[in-house]
Amino acid sequence: MIFSKIDAATYPFINLASQLVRELEKSLGISAILSPDSEVLRRSIERIREAVYSRTTSVYKKDLDIEILSHPVALLLIKHMNNAKLVNIYAEAEKNRALVNLLKEDYEKLMALAVDGFNWHVRKEGGYLFIRFDDYLKTSVNMLDAYWKLVNRRLVNGYVELPRRDFSRLLAEAYRVRILERAGQAEDVQVPSALKLVIEELDKEFRAALPKVDMDTTYVNEYKPSAFPPCVSKLLEEAEQGKNLSHMARFTLATFLISIGKRPEELLNVFRKMPDFDEGKTLYHLRHIAGELGSRTRYTPPSCATLRTFGLCVANDSLCQKVKHPLTYYSKKLKLLKRERT
Amino acid sequence: MKKLDNESFIKKMSKRYYIEWKEEPPKDFSRREFAFVVSRKGEVIRHKAFEKWSDVKEFLCKNSPLHVYYSSAYYAQPSAPDMDAKEWMGADLVFDIDVDHIYTPCKEQHDKWMCLNCGAIGNGMPPEECLKCSSKRIEAKTWFCEKCLEIAKEETIKLVEDFLIQDFGLSPQEISIVFSGRRGFHIHVESDVVRELDQRARREIVDYVRGTGLMVQDKKRRALAPPLNAGGWPGRIAKGVYELLNSGNVEGLLNIKGGSKAEEAIRAIIKRLEESQDYWPLEGVTRRVWLKVVEKVIAHKHCEVDERVTTDIKRLIRLPGTLHGGTGLIAAKVRLSGIESFDPYVHAVAFLKGNVKVKVLNMPEITFLNQTWGPYNNEVVELPIGLAVYLICSENAILVSEEVEVD
Repeated sequence: MIFSKIDAATYPFINLASQLVRELEKSLGISAILSPDSEVLRRSIERIREAVYSRTTSVYKKDLDIEILSHPVALLLIKHMNNAKLVNIYAEAEKNRALVNLLKEDYEKLMALAVDGFNWHVRKEGGYLFIRFDDYLKTSVNMLDAYWKLVNRRLVNGYVELPRRDFSRLLAEAYRVRILERAGQAEDVQVPSALKLVIEELDKEFRAALPKVDMDTTYVNEYKPSAFPPCVSKLLEEAEQGKNLSHMARFTLATFLISIGKRPEELLNVFRKMPDFDEGKTLYHLRHIAGELGSRTRYTPPSCATLRTFGLCVANDSLCQKVKHPLTYYSKKLKLLKRERT
Repeated sequence: MKKLDNESFIKKMSKRYYIEWKEEPPKDFSRREFAFVVSRKGEVIRHKAFEKWSDVKEFLCKNSPLHVYYSSAYYAQPSAPDMDAKEWMGADLVFDIDVDHIYTPCKEQHDKWMCLNCGAIGNGMPPEECLKCSSKRIEAKTWFCEKCLEIAKEETIKLVEDFLIQDFGLSPQEISIVFSGRRGFHIHVESDVVRELDQRARREIVDYVRGTGLMVQDKKRRALAPPLNAGGWPGRIAKGVYELLNSGNVEGLLNIKGGSKAEEAIRAIIKRLEESQDYWPLEGVTRRVWLKVVEKVIAHKHCEVDERVTTDIKRLIRLPGTLHGGTGLIAAKVRLSGIESFDPYVHAVAFLKGNVKVKVLNMPEITFLNQTWGPYNNEVVELPIGLAVYLICSENAILVSEEVEVD
């Protein structure tokens, strides 16, 4: 399939988009593109603002060259602001914009975009699209819902069957991940000093507009059992009953409680009723986990996915469906409880 | 001819084996890390890499190690002593099917455990904790009987045929099955399709073959029945339900109450399965019966693999064709077509010529090289050398012969 310029503007992940960017950079010159009064710069800033204030971006169709250049320039600006939250929001907004358009495409176009943009191995059969399992997994592991687990998909002869809608969603997600990867790479383009001032202003604006990082997983520092995720509550209960917990269960309990600010010595009582309790050994392990001994790494609790694999996931309330880490559950639940009180 | 202690005897036998050793190298062996356990105390040589395959043989002959491992991972610098400096480039997909982790009823007869804390003993699969004092310090004496072997084979065939070939579309040439040397099989997949998958992706694969997280109802808690011709798990479930419901004695098996209504539901499900081309919704009694049967089907059709082995992308695993120091048996490659007739006590025996006198501490009846031996209890017997090596390696016997016949 031959892509058009409008495709390159709508789907920045296809090769034609990068090719056009290279050509335009050559013909216009980087310094012109990044000069304070450049239209590209104006559109790039607008694109980031759209992401921040409306969580999606539009496609500016009046001048496709400008639109095509605005994505890499927006990314460049974002990289210089060094704000993880902003990166995530931009990637999410770009994903939303891609998804809206992808949902309107036919089978052939979707397959062509997937092959060109991400080298996916795909084919069409009947009313379904098929994607090779390794391509599927590389993207689907980022999806939270059990719906996307491989075990809940029809997998035949190495290919995963996907309805068109799901195929579009997977493609949009692959684009989001691509942006995050790009944002993590080192930048070699020098920014002119006039632009530095612009970036500083934008940085201030976005830091004010975006709420403080709401998922700082390491330091919540508040002990409120009623906000514990169900898996942790269950483990605590079992420890209280003196059940002999598995290694993974103990590790989960210890890392969780330490992550929310408990000291190793305070946790001895949690494990005291275990049949093989040994105060010295337990304290040693707890201090290790807390990063006070050995490698000085402070361990965080396992993710929901790991807990599921080890059969420790209880997932019995609706908040569980929205998170992939027990600490995220905790901080979200704390907030909910506070909101209820006020 | 001098008197040998157990360890020197094992090392001597090991050397003899490796002098004659001929084994195909794993894919890109020069990108792999090799590791060796060289003494019974557990001394390890790690971070070795070899440019030439003949160097591996030379190393084995010189050091006669008890265990030989290689990395499932490919590294830019396989001999770098630091894991990060090795630079991971990808890894084979590896599965471990080990009877240690699968319940088999025959263990009641041949496995024993003892609590090192209170001295309590018991038969069968060792419990996670002592039944008396709840200590976790449990020592087990385990054996691998024909029934255990059957179960390990069944799981392996299920994994390779039903999952890896049918569902994952891997070709038999990319899959090798290797006897673990003790109580199970390792399955190695050397394919570009799996090579770059990270831990999270491999966890998804483990969950797939184990049936973990399988949804049998939709978000509105409606049970949906797939048609018989569906692929993947939906088809596996539909076929399993169909087989089970047609097998008779369903009520007893499922412990379903409700008499004629349940029978009616079963007939209805069978009829729908035979006729349907697509998913169909279930309600009322049929739904209840369906969900019960599905539970049984998943338990039967899923595959018991050890998730830690598959999700670890930097794991060391026994090198095919080498000896297992705990049994003296060869970790022999097995063809899928030949697995049903594979007998480790024939096909994985490294030493065939000669007899050795040993004092056997304890051994149940065993069929070794197609001949029945034992049971023995604290007695001195002359045994074929392969069996003697097996018992000495597994610490069930002590060498008695002052001299060892060399061929």
